[in-house]
Amino acid sequence: MTTTAVTTTPVVGFERVGKSYGNVRAVDGLTLALHPGETVALLGPNGAGKSTTLDLLLGLKQPDTGTVRVLGTSPREAIVAGRVGAMLQSGGLMDEVTVAELVRLACSLHPRPYPVSEVLARAGVTRIADRKVDKLSGGQAQRVRFALATAGDSDLIVLDEPTTGMDVTTRQAFWATMREQADHGRTVLFATHYLEEADAVADRVLVLHRGRLLADGTAAEIKAKAGARRISFDLPDAPIDEDRLRGLPFLATLDVSGRTVRIQSTDADATVHALYGLGLYPRNLEVAGLGLEQAFMTITAAEEAKSTC
Amino acid sequence: MLTTLASWGLIKLELTRALRNRKFLFFSVLYPSLLFLLIAGSASTTEKIDGTGLTLPTYMMVSMASFGALTAVLMGNSERIAKERESGWVRQLRLTTLPGRGYVLAKTASAAVVSLPSIVIVFVVAALVKDVRLDAWQWLALTGAIWAGSLVFAALGVAIGYLASGDAVRPVTMIVYFGLSMLGGLWMPTTTFPQWLQDIARWLPTHAYASLGRAIEQSHAPHTTDLLVLAVSFALFAGGAAWLYRKDTLKA
Repeated sequence: MTTTAVTTTPVVGFERVGKSYGNVRAVDGLTLALHPGETVALLGPNGAGKSTTLDLLLGLKQPDTGTVRVLGTSPREAIVAGRVGAMLQSGGLMDEVTVAELVRLACSLHPRPYPVSEVLARAGVTRIADRKVDKLSGGQAQRVRFALATAGDSDLIVLDEPTTGMDVTTRQAFWATMREQADHGRTVLFATHYLEEADAVADRVLVLHRGRLLADGTAAEIKAKAGARRISFDLPDAPIDEDRLRGLPFLATLDVSGRTVRIQSTDADATVHALYGLGLYPRNLEVAGLGLEQAFMTITAAEEAKSTC
Repeated sequence: MLTTLASWGLIKLELTRALRNRKFLFFSVLYPSLLFLLIAGSASTTEKIDGTGLTLPTYMMVSMASFGALTAVLMGNSERIAKERESGWVRQLRLTTLPGRGYVLAKTASAAVVSLPSIVIVFVVAALVKDVRLDAWQWLALTGAIWAGSLVFAALGVAIGYLASGDAVRPVTMIVYFGLSMLGGLWMPTTTFPQWLQDIARWLPTHAYASLGRAIEQSHAPHTTDLLVLAVSFALFAGGAAWLYRKDTLKA
């Protein structure tokens, strides 16, 4: 009986959550649910409400309207129970103490701590364990923050732009560790502006824009939702008549530079067919799917266009 | 009780850090004793200050012990809290099981641990170098009263730490610190002040604080006014700190 209750309780539940600063609606009627074992990326341009969303989720801010539940309780209760580990971009570190001392503190504050040496090793900070916290590079400090977030056995791990300041190798090692966490059944939610990370790591992507959820699905679904495919070709023979090209069906965007034409189309087959119908002879024709980055830009640009109309 | 337990790890770490910080240790632990020697060093050990029945070294011993405790708790709290609020460490701590007031408690407790040696060292220097002699109960009562009284200023430090931030916190702390020390008569007896200044000084918590210690030296009961001033100051500072803390928590 209890098992059904546990499995149906979302790890994170936002119910029509709103939060404003003055006239700015940072989060606008946000409803979402995260489930156990998911690795979720939170995407959005600057000012989309990512940080506010994470603050609300962690109980650092209180919503004006709606409710935020974490593991069936209030965010603060979930944190006090040690069920949430979090790493904030704005989270500072205590200075004049060593990395090991700080990690020991985090372990001592967790109800189900891991051994200090294990936490240090997992975050890759064993070698800098005796270094003073204020003498660390940006990437090293990030890893210490990660160590603090994973000092004990938590059900949910929240990471705000975790790989900022890390070099490529460290970043890869970081995500390998993170995947391990997810494999142990933990729910991982991370905000990032590296879209390739979301593409590679997350099994669910949330796109936030102006405090609202624009898209929610797998990376593949988000790309499909953006709908567009990229068509590019050269027109070396004739002068390029942009107006004629603009008349092509299913055209989303058109970009002409020199003799090269780049098009985003919601139905590439039909667009290419019509292209030949114009009597043009495109060379070096390529049709490709959008990357997550372009899909993301398409989705937010479309929303932007809608709201300015 | 739970708060205390959860804070223990942080108190230990705060202490480690304080003991490692030589500048802080110098100013809070050694500086008051040095200042005592500077002021009372050449003073007579038998001549009494008018109206007190105390020798200058005995009088200044309480002043400097109070000053040392004040330094440790006020400096230890205000600048650190402001700095750590700004760096986001306070925010990071709010993502742990430690309740917010546990942070304030840890700060105050570790400052209090540092303030104890600063009081005792002034006493030892005064007794050894300037022959200050008191009964055993007086030494104990003095230590206890000055130590407990420093809580008033610990609360003030917390309040300043949550009130001022960034570049403002140091000047604000310094003005309050020097103002309270000087006008409260910790550096020189207020009897040297002009009358109007004496009238103001009488109502300062630092004046009441040192006066409490002097009453013990004179084997008098403490003045009701002094106890009242300290109690009201503590209520004001602690209330202000709690209010500012709550405001900061909602904002962050």
